[in-house]
Parts: sequence; structure tokens; C-alpha cells
Amino acid sequence: MDVPYYPTHEFGPLMKGLIIGGIGIVHVFLAQFAIGGGLLMCYFQWLAGSRGSQLARQFVDGYFKVLVLISFVVGAVTGVGLWLTSIQISPRTIGIMVDEFHWVWATEWTFFCLEIVAGYSFYRYSRILNDRNRLFLLATYSAAAWFSLFWINGILSWQLTPGEWVAERNVWAGFFNPSFLPSLIFRTVTSMVIAALVACIVINLIPDLSRSQREKLIAKAGHFTAPMVLMPLLGIWYMASIPADSRQWIMGGSVAMTMFFALGIGCSLLIGGYALFSLLRGGLYINVATATLLCLLGFLATAGGEFVREGVRKPYTIRTVLYSNSVTPDELAYLRRVGSVTNDPYPLLSSDEIPTDQLQLGAKVFRFQCSVCHTVQGANGLTHLTGTWTPMQLRLNVAQLQRTKPFMPPFAGTPEELEALAQWIEWHNSGSMDDWSAADSGASLTQIASWLDEVGTRPGIDLMNEPRVSGGAQ
Amino acid sequence: METPFPFGFPLPTGFYLTLYVATWVIHAAFMNYVLAGSAYLGAAIVIQGKSVETNPLASLLRDWLPFMLSAAITAGIAPLLFVQILYEDSFYTANQLLFHRWMAILPTLMLGFYLLYLLKAKFIAKRSLKLRIAIGISAFLCFAFVAWSWTENHLLSLQPQSVWVEQYASGVFRYRDSQLISRLSLWFASSFPTMATVLAWQLMTQKPTDLEKGQPGTRRTAALAMCGLVASGAAAGIYLNSLDSSVSKSLFSALGFPYLMLASLGLVIQLLCWISIYARSKLDKISLAIASTGLCCTLTGFSVSREVIRISTIDWQNRLSAHESAFRVGGFALFLTSAVVCGGLIFYVIRLVRKNLTESSASHG
Repeated sequence: MDVPYYPTHEFGPLMKGLIIGGIGIVHVFLAQFAIGGGLLMCYFQWLAGSRGSQLARQFVDGYFKVLVLISFVVGAVTGVGLWLTSIQISPRTIGIMVDEFHWVWATEWTFFCLEIVAGYSFYRYSRILNDRNRLFLLATYSAAAWFSLFWINGILSWQLTPGEWVAERNVWAGFFNPSFLPSLIFRTVTSMVIAALVACIVINLIPDLSRSQREKLIAKAGHFTAPMVLMPLLGIWYMASIPADSRQWIMGGSVAMTMFFALGIGCSLLIGGYALFSLLRGGLYINVATATLLCLLGFLATAGGEFVREGVRKPYTIRTVLYSNSVTPDELAYLRRVGSVTNDPYPLLSSDEIPTDQLQLGAKVFRFQCSVCHTVQGANGLTHLTGTWTPMQLRLNVAQLQRTKPFMPPFAGTPEELEALAQWIEWHNSGSMDDWSAADSGASLTQIASWLDEVGTRPGIDLMNEPRVSGGAQ
Repeated sequence: METPFPFGFPLPTGFYLTLYVATWVIHAAFMNYVLAGSAYLGAAIVIQGKSVETNPLASLLRDWLPFMLSAAITAGIAPLLFVQILYEDSFYTANQLLFHRWMAILPTLMLGFYLLYLLKAKFIAKRSLKLRIAIGISAFLCFAFVAWSWTENHLLSLQPQSVWVEQYASGVFRYRDSQLISRLSLWFASSFPTMATVLAWQLMTQKPTDLEKGQPGTRRTAALAMCGLVASGAAAGIYLNSLDSSVSKSLFSALGFPYLMLASLGLVIQLLCWISIYARSKLDKISLAIASTGLCCTLTGFSVSREVIRISTIDWQNRLSAHESAFRVGGFALFLTSAVVCGGLIFYVIRLVRKNLTESSASHG
């Protein structure tokens, strides 16, 4: 079996997930702004054309400049950035996604090209176009932007709910997966709300508008927040479409996931409450400070939602296909026999700081199996998580990782590697001393082997659903 | 290999190689415009000072560079997709080895983007010349950094695993290769004829103030193109000389030689056209169409030669089964349909804008 090895690097005290999550959240927020912004401008351009509103036309021109300067620059570059960051963090995940969905991605690219051409044409030449042509360009731009979402949404939702694809390996079975539709509609509504919130900032910043003109524009933009009433239903639909174990992480099974979920819901409720009761029903004016605050809440809601979407895939990055540490279920059994780093050609970067061969082996095992989600002493650091465990507890918990935390993948190495990893963690927990005697007793290796055999290679989420045997394994 | 590119490869590999080269050529055209355009604009601000405002090429570049950068990034997505299918392991490994030095291209691109918009902004035109010089040069340096990083990444991806291991063990996020300068010089020099050709078409759409004298900036555009062509010919010679004999052999075999000839033929066609345009000081559609054809030949020839060098350097045979698996994945018909529909709409949008522009300029006398 040919297991690929890549020369991975660590991001210091930052967890790799934080890096990709950070870039992802910024990109998603800006992409949704671009999609909703297109729809919003179509609405305003329609008002300009059908009702002769010069004010609406003036707003569209101002709004589009903001969109070009932010979304076309930071949005586009972070999109490429997300790809490059994925390569840094989990090349196998992005590799499988590209292999399976490259035509969908290529299709998205054609829409992206259309989006750029229509968008820039409007940006440069809208002043010489009549209302009909302006609307045509905006409609083309926003349709292309929405279809970009349509295509990418299928790929992203497939990661969590690959559906029939697992058995059929049919690209369309994977694309139109169980969470595709709720996710698509939810994101469309989110895009509309973000566009409306940004519009409130832009309206306040357009010079030469009177207070009543701003009020009129804000009231119109406020219409785009109305679909938020659907969000609870869409949320429930989405939750129902994801696997039960993933739902469990959100509903209290993982405190971090639950908190981010609560953050997303809380921020959405604040925006929704303000929008529905003040903006839509009360016709309240929103000044630039309030609009910025609401936008920030929108960003936090996006951050919460995206964190949860990434997190609930655990222990996989592609459900049932690839564990979060880039080991496939088939490879896992193989690596238990031959060792996870036996064939890793890349040396340790800091081997001279690690006193024994056993500890160096442990460091390599950490790099291959753990470093994608953990640091040593930084975010989600192993020393924080294991500092109070006894040595035997540490060995048992790592050997039966999927039982310790069902969102963790099973350990994918030999007993010797596990012992080395345990020693390496212990060494860090003891202050990384210069001398450390190798502990390689046959008894502990036998014990580790028996723990590994007992738990097997099945993921924890499968074990969760099994009836518990009274008294447990002895 | 005794068959011209891409016919000697298994169907899936040849198919993805063709798509990769085709989309790469589109990306390279926009990329060249940005690289050479930002270099020329920066130099023009330094050399001409405030009188740069009267330079028609500088005005066009200032106006169009942000869009061209956007187009370059967008066009770059397709080859980025296909390169992952073709050379997944080597591409990913090179990315990872250069780590944050490589990832630095992202903030650099954003900075370059905003600097181009700043150069366009009216309030900057009113500021001191020193500030404009700083912005112009910084914008070029941003794109030069991105070009250097891509070249470095590409060269590292061509190395065997032993070099990758050595590079990783060194802990250094830079890769020094003897071909780096010659390769970068070749790309930089060859970017000027591309920019000149696109600029010439853009100049053609502007109304000349003096019909007898023709378009202002014509001779300067032709001179830029000619200098670029001569320099890229020389850089190509130096680069070819630096290649290993096994790689040169592939390049001069049936696999690569037709494309090497195509690139050279394109260079000659372009040179002749630009000499003629320079001598007449006039742009005309026929000469430009011929020069553009020559440019297409050169870009295609260069791009295929680049692949031939890669293919004869790395072990691509171990990717054959991956290409075959990818080839069996569904969705190609969808891509073709969307390419036709979106391509048609793009064409219609451009036509619509051109029609409105013509009507607008006619109504303004």
C-alpha cells in the first residue's frame, strides 16, 4: 500500500485548523457579500428602471464600487488562498476533492469568468448604459455569482454528507447529497442579509444624500433581511440532514462546537431581531455605527457557522473516506502493522533538540498523525489536554483514541510508535529535559498491543452506536 | 517519445495535458500584461515624472491593470486545477516546502492589487511625484515577487525526492536553483511582446487626434515589443543552454521540437510585424492580427516546451492511474455546456458594451 507523505510544517502556537478556518471565514463572508450584493443591486436597479428612482441608481453605482474594491480583490485572492492553504494543511483532502469534482470546479470557473467580465463591464461602463442594459449586466453578474455558490456548495456539503456517493462513486450522487439543498438555501439567505447590512453602511457613506433619502434607501435594503424568518426552519432542515453523530457534537457533545453553534445562533438572532422588529416593522434608521456593528455580528455568525461546518466532519475531512489526519480507513489497518512513519522520508526539523531516538520517533508520529489538529503547547495543545493524565492513562487513551473522544480518528500506528508518542508527550509535560531515558518495556508494549487489538480500527462514531456490554472489556 | 505532444501519451494524460496547456496560455497572456505593464508603468513614472500623464501607454495601463490582474487571477484557476490532477505529488510538495514564503504571494497580490487601484485614483494624481513613484515601483515589486515565487515553486517541483528531503531538512523556505534567473528572465522578457500586442489593440480602439500621424504611442509600443522579443530570444538561448542534456534531448525530439519551432516561428512573425509597424509609425488591423497570431504561436510553443521539460524531468508515470481515475469521473459534459453558455454570455456582454461605447462616442461627436 502506497501511503503518501508530505513535508508538513507547523504554524507555531496556532492550530492548522485556525489558519484555514480564518481564511475560510473571511472568504465565505466576502463571497456571500458578492452573491447577495448582486441580487440586491438587481433589486435597486429594477427600482431605478421601473420607477425611475435616480436615488436607487446612485446607490447601485456606489455599492458596486465597494463590491469591486473588496470582493473582487480580497474575495478573489482569499479564494485562491483557501486552495493553497488547503494544500499546506491537508493535501490529501484537497487532492481527493479535485480528483472527484474537477469538472464541477471547472464549471464553477466558467461562471466565475462570467461574473468577472459582467461585473467589470458594469463597473467601467454602467454610466453609458441605459437602465435595461444595466439590469442585464447586473442580472448576469448576480446569476453567475449565485451559480458559483451552487457549484461549490455541492462540493463542500459532500465532505460531510457524501450520501450515495460512498457506494456508487457517482459524482452527481455526491454533488446532490443530503445537505446540499438546505445548505444552498441557507447560504443564499445569509448572502442576502449580509448584502443588506453592508448596504446600510454604504448608504451612510454616500456623500450628498439627505437624511430622508438615506432612510428611503435603508428601508428598501431592509427588505433583503426579510428571508431571515426562514433561517430557523432552514437550520432545522440542515441539522436533520447531517449525520446523527455530527448533530450530537453540536448539541453538547463537543463544548467548543456547541459554543460556536451558539455564537452563530446568538448573532443571527440579534441581527434578525433588529431587522425584523426595527428595520422592517418600525422603519428605524440605521446609522453607520449600528450598521457596522450589525455587519460585525454577521461576520461572527458566519464564523460560528463555518467553524461548526468544519468541526462536525470529525473524525473525517471526507466522511468515511479520509480521516482528519489524512489517513484512509484502509490505510489505518496497514499502518498499524508497518508503522505510520516507517516510510516517512522527511526528517525531523528539530531532531537535535530531542534527546533520544524514541522521543524523535514520537515527534514524527505526532507530526504525521496529530499535528493537523493539535499543537504541543499552543492552541489545542497536547500538554494542556494530557498534563494531568498518568502514563498508563495516556497510553490507554491514545491507544483507544476513538473511545476517548469519538470525534478523534483511531490511532494509526504500531505499539512501538504509540509508546514513543506517549513518551514524547510525557517528555513535554515534564519540561522537555535534556536527558530522558527510553522506556520500552515489553510489558507496556504488550499492554498497548492488547488495547489496540481490543478497540480495533473502527471509528468512534461507529462504536457510539453499538450497545454497551455490561462490565466493559476486561 | 517519438510522437509530438500530446499524442504519445495515454488518452487521459494527453487530455489533461492539453487542457492544462490551453488554459495556461490564457492565464499567461493576462499575467504577462500585468508583469510587463506594471514594470513599464513604474519605469515611466520614474523616468517621465509628471509628464507621464501625457504618455498614452501609461494611461492605458493605469486604467486597465486592475482588471487585467483580476482576469489573470481568474484565468489562473483552471490551470491550477489541472496541474493538481497531472502532478499532484510534486506540486503539493513544492508548495509545502516553501511554506509561508510561498503563501506570502497572497497578501502580496492583494497589496499589488490595491496599489494599482491607488495609481488609478484621482486623489493620488494630485499628490507628490515621490509618492506616485513609490506606489508604481512597489506595485511592480509585488508582481515580480509573485513571478519569482512561482518560478521557484515550479523549479522545486521538478526535483527528485532526495532534493525535497534535503530542502525540508535545511529548514529554509527559499529554493536556490541555477535555472532560476535564466527562467525568470525568459518569462519577464517574453511578457513585453504580449503586453505590447494587447496595448496596441487597445490603442486601436482610441480615436487618433491626428489621422496622418496615427495612434500616439505606436512607435513606443513597437519598440517595447521588439526589445522584448530580442531579449526573450536571448534569454531562451541562455535557458536552453542551462538544461540537462537529457532534457534538451526531449525538447529537440519529436515530442517537443515542433513546438520549439512553433515558438521560434511566432517570434520571427512578431518581430517582422513590429519592425513594419515601427517603420510606418502606424497601427493597422492586419499587421496586428498577424502579430497576434505570432504571439499565440509563441505562447503555445513556450507553454508546451515548459511541459516537455517538466515531463522529461519528473517521474510522471506513477500518476498515470490517477489520470485514468480522474478521466472516468463524470461532469465533463456539464463543463463543456457551461463553457459554451458562459462563453456566449461573455461574448454578448462585451458586444453589448462595445455597441454602447460606439453609440456613446458617436453622440459625443
